[in-house]
Amino acid sequence: MSATDLPQGAASSDILDSPMQGVWPPTPAMLAEPVDPDLSRAQAGNLRKAWETPRGWRRITAVNNSHVGKWYAMTALAFMLGAGVLALLMRVQLAVPENGFLDSDRFNQFFTMHGSAMMFLFAVPMFEAISILLLPAMLGTRDMPFPRLSAYGYWCFLIGGVFVLGSVLFDAAPSSGWFMYPPLATESEGIGADIWLLGLSFIEVASIAAAVELIVGVIKCRPPGMRINLMPLYAWYVLVVGGMILFAFPPLIAGDFLFELQRSLDWPFFDPERGGDPLLWQHLFWIFGHPEVYIIFLPSIAIAAMVVPTAARIPITGYSWIVLSAVGTGFLSFGLWVHHMFATGLPALSLGFFSAASEAVVIPTGVQIFAFIATMMVGRVRMILPMLWIAGAVAIFTAGGLTGVMVALAPFDWQVHDTYFIVAHLHYTLFGGMVFPVIGGVYYFFPVIMKKNLSERLGRWSFWLCFTGFNICFLPMHLTGLLGMPRRVYTYSGDLGWNMLNLISTLGAFVLAAGILVFVWDLIRPKGRAPHSARNPWDAGTLEWTHDVPDEPWGVRSVPYVTSRYPLWDQPEMLARMDAGRFYLPDAPEGERETLITSAVDAVPQHVARLTGPAWCTLVAAAFTGGAFILPTFKMYLPAVLCGIVAIGAIIWWLWTATARIPEARFKDAGLGLRLPLYVSGPKAPGWWAVFITMLGDATGFASLVFGVFFYWTARPDFPPPDAPHAALLPSLAAACLFLASWGATRIARGVNAAGSIVPARGLLLAAPILALAGAGALFAAVWLPGLAPTSHAYPAMMWALVVWTVAHVLCGAIMQAYCLARSLAGRMTARHDADLWNTALFWHFLIVTCLVTTAMIALVPRML
Amino acid sequence: MRSRHDSLWYMIFAPGIWALHFVAVYGWAATICAKGAPYGLARIGIAAVTVIALVLILWHGVLAWRQWDLLDDGDHVHARPTAGDRREFLGHAGLLLAIVALVGVVFVSLPAIFIGDCR
Repeated sequence: MSATDLPQGAASSDILDSPMQGVWPPTPAMLAEPVDPDLSRAQAGNLRKAWETPRGWRRITAVNNSHVGKWYAMTALAFMLGAGVLALLMRVQLAVPENGFLDSDRFNQFFTMHGSAMMFLFAVPMFEAISILLLPAMLGTRDMPFPRLSAYGYWCFLIGGVFVLGSVLFDAAPSSGWFMYPPLATESEGIGADIWLLGLSFIEVASIAAAVELIVGVIKCRPPGMRINLMPLYAWYVLVVGGMILFAFPPLIAGDFLFELQRSLDWPFFDPERGGDPLLWQHLFWIFGHPEVYIIFLPSIAIAAMVVPTAARIPITGYSWIVLSAVGTGFLSFGLWVHHMFATGLPALSLGFFSAASEAVVIPTGVQIFAFIATMMVGRVRMILPMLWIAGAVAIFTAGGLTGVMVALAPFDWQVHDTYFIVAHLHYTLFGGMVFPVIGGVYYFFPVIMKKNLSERLGRWSFWLCFTGFNICFLPMHLTGLLGMPRRVYTYSGDLGWNMLNLISTLGAFVLAAGILVFVWDLIRPKGRAPHSARNPWDAGTLEWTHDVPDEPWGVRSVPYVTSRYPLWDQPEMLARMDAGRFYLPDAPEGERETLITSAVDAVPQHVARLTGPAWCTLVAAAFTGGAFILPTFKMYLPAVLCGIVAIGAIIWWLWTATARIPEARFKDAGLGLRLPLYVSGPKAPGWWAVFITMLGDATGFASLVFGVFFYWTARPDFPPPDAPHAALLPSLAAACLFLASWGATRIARGVNAAGSIVPARGLLLAAPILALAGAGALFAAVWLPGLAPTSHAYPAMMWALVVWTVAHVLCGAIMQAYCLARSLAGRMTARHDADLWNTALFWHFLIVTCLVTTAMIALVPRML
Repeated sequence: MRSRHDSLWYMIFAPGIWALHFVAVYGWAATICAKGAPYGLARIGIAAVTVIALVLILWHGVLAWRQWDLLDDGDHVHARPTAGDRREFLGHAGLLLAIVALVGVVFVSLPAIFIGDCR
């Protein structure tokens, strides 16, 4: 990297467009130069003011990761306790045979909500919460790249979670099991299934928002110098899991979309009498559902990857091997989904593929465990309290993994399918793979989060109660299952040999609950008078332990220059320099919240990003997005549409006022003799990455619908039915041409605008949304004119579903084009400041693929099948 | 296009091939069995895709091995803040992923040898 020192305002435009000016990397002499204490104090005052948290009831507008992360974690914990109470009530019912404590319907609601809440309201959100809370600290950055997006995601999660979990209090909860198999779920009376579909879709949107945030955070917000080979392992796992969420959640959203269309409009996707197939739901659900298990497991084991080196006092053994294991598990976990469907009668050959992949995933998972064990053997392990929880986790998870190898074999699975053996297996993997490491992580990271210590004594009590209680509860279930007790039965007769085992499990469940309660009490007991914790109580080596005690709102006082995997061990002078403001962005003279954006692989500084601050618009947007998802449950479609419009309005307001603002200067002094641009567009901008990543997820959802078409074609002899009308050719062709024209206009507008021809660019941006809407009309006509009746058969229903999906996206695309036009007219988008247009063009690159595939799928493919 | 030495995309090339192989094998077998085509066709198709996937992964593995450069300096930790260590780290991780992908492709193809019909 060039290290030329260029004068400010140099004449050549090449120099003005150069990514940075000044010195990079910093020299040792520059880093060693002391900072004037008075200056440092003044800078700290500016920073404190820029990052100040709103007080009083305005506190709910805060978007700082440390606030949103805490709310997120506590909300997920509350939902977990609620779901845990449901589990205890079920165990009471099952304690003795022929029990009348719960009736069958209530029992069904409880096990459905227990599973759904633990998965959707606790496990995945807890990963997001912990990552939002800790990732910026581990990366030595000020905040996540899109703080308001975190806040929006949190409020969506809270509203959706209260709605879904609250339904159990009104005897209205879903009761078809957490995987909602049709036809049981499509035929079920009442609104339970709708609550599940709409409420959880809403929360999945929040999960995808968090995934986008976390991926961009890891790729673009690392501190200068932290090359990809120096990244904390936690960040590797976050990157992998973020990617998995992008490919796992959209199929479920697509499935929910079809399912809800069947529930509310009677489009027969899963009804075999009208050409549908219930197995399609199972595929879409488990394409999500199996990676989901690893989405829960990997970030929790990532906590172990942070704790183990600290406990062993040495760097992790086999860094590359752990990266292999995280990435490898991430990939292989997508080849396992049918092992949940071994009993559905698929050809043995298909089962074989999934059985083989299920065995193969043991390799990367095992590598990970062995790397931890190797680290402990090489170092000298102190059995600190977090390490105790991690050790318990590894023991439990290994047991769950071994039963996993057993059930990955189709013939064995046929014997234990839908029995308590599976219940035992999945709880061993999830407690060992998630609950224990997360509690260990809370004990480990609590000083960073709350600046106080948790109780060592209570922590050990909690561990041993949880560990013994867990095993007393779930170990006997292996036997109960092998003796033939099916899952999800609300009672059983007393002569089957299950009585004692069930009673033992119930007793164990209460011991486990006592352990969890001790932990929760330790967590929430008032600690106002307790002394602050030490700054680095475990003597760890990673950046989160540079946190300020007592708390400061700015994340880091200055963004460090990192040259090691364990900077606090290897760069002993670092902490004092960070505190003094020796490193980057030590000041906030303009009163703006700022953080550094660096390059994806080598973390070369690229840009000073201005972050968004506290806002009401995120709350309004979340509340009305909630309305748009929740009201259709009660068939209130018009209010739902109105809510959707208000939500879109609030989001546009949020973008218009706070994103891609034109800065007062091109460059800013970032400290250490480095000057960086304040405005970037295209692939250097975090926003462009966010659109790219979101659209990858969106493309996956669309691909799931296309998969649905081919699935029907292989699974059903009458797809398409021989005499069925097909989508009209001419309107389809017209739609394709109009979409192409709209996409072309957008892309050309970007080039023309950048070249300075503002008026032609505006003309193109005026034409583009009109062309797009005309295309949407033509697409609609293509299925409407020939009279494709979506309620008659799965074939026309599927064609309509593709059109509805595409038209909805085209509407978004048209809004984005019109937004760019308005920004240009308002002087908020210029030839140089064109991030909005870059992002819109990127959206349209993805959208045009969707449009063309849809027109081909409705007009050409059925005629050839 | 970035050079393979500083690109994350190359690191995940081999598992990406595994994923494509998996989808191809599963889709092909499902289609053959659903449409009642001769089972031999399923085996031939699976064999063909498998050979292609194995060649691609092996080729990539060799490139990753060269990029890792273990025999040159014996470094397998790659914890220094240099472009060289980053390059070798990406090579090392890429090689390990290629090995896992190779095993995965072989595993996933084995059922076609052991299972003799579409039942």
